[in-house]
Amino acid sequence: MKMEEVSMSSLDNSKLEGVAQDILSDLVEDACLGVCFEVHRAVKQGYFFLDDTDQESMREFEIVDQPGLDVFGQVYNQWKNKECVCPNCSRSIAASRFAPHLEKCLGMGRNSSRIANRRIVTGGNNTNNKSESDQEDNDDVNDNDWSYGAEKKAKKRKSDKVFAHSLKQPILLVRLYMFGNIAFVHISMKAVHHQGTKIVLGSFLTRQFKKNNPPHKNHKDTHTQ
Amino acid sequence: MNKDSQMRAAINQKLIEMGERERLKELLRAKLVECGWKDQMKAQCKDVIREKGLEHVTVEDLVVEITPKGRALVPDSVKKELLQRIRAFLAQHSTL
Repeated sequence: MKMEEVSMSSLDNSKLEGVAQDILSDLVEDACLGVCFEVHRAVKQGYFFLDDTDQESMREFEIVDQPGLDVFGQVYNQWKNKECVCPNCSRSIAASRFAPHLEKCLGMGRNSSRIANRRIVTGGNNTNNKSESDQEDNDDVNDNDWSYGAEKKAKKRKSDKVFAHSLKQPILLVRLYMFGNIAFVHISMKAVHHQGTKIVLGSFLTRQFKKNNPPHKNHKDTHTQ
Repeated sequence: MNKDSQMRAAINQKLIEMGERERLKELLRAKLVECGWKDQMKAQCKDVIREKGLEHVTVEDLVVEITPKGRALVPDSVKKELLQRIRAFLAQHSTL
């Protein structure tokens, strides 16, 4: 059929509406046929009834809609208030906090080494990022003749934090850089002006130093009061 | 009347050429699935199959049984939306 130029503006709106309706009914019929073909193929290929289950199973696995239960019928806050005893520190911990506590307690989780090191830093000791290198340095320090209480440092590591808190006076936090066997102490300029400032170096050291200490094998520059 | 049928043919041709008919078909299918019409149809098919027997059901059986029900069960909202789009298309392309 030759396509003639037909102006639709001359047509009634009703005709246009009729055309639209026809187009719609064509589309709907296409959809219905589509369903029929799909179903027929499923029947002949044998997968049409696959998702059917018998009544009994349906009842068994029905969705549960009761208060206090989840959709499977399980009680979901059963262990909210229970407490567990930590095998490491023998403390009683709430169940929901148990896993993170174990992480910190055993020193095995993702963040536990960071937290442990933070504690060490706030104790006024090291700025090393890895606790392993701390221990390495300790070993090196112990090898030397003059190890200014390094043994005490190694042993009393745990009590650092406790010690720092128990002083109850303003503590000057000092950075101790370990470079090989030599420790450098960095103290800000402000601090030097304070009279009678005790320089606390870990738990093994609360001494007042005199200026210009004679250099030792383990050379630690410290300022005095 | 000839003009009419010519006009319809022209419109249909334009619909197909511009890809609008495909888009409308997809849109209708999506809407019918969304509103649950397809599941209803499948349930109807199950009845027909049980009636005619699983082994012997033919496409014709299904078509004859399903199509009139299908037409009737399309929700009005879906019909309205499709009609809107069709009218818009017709209005846009009124001069062929």
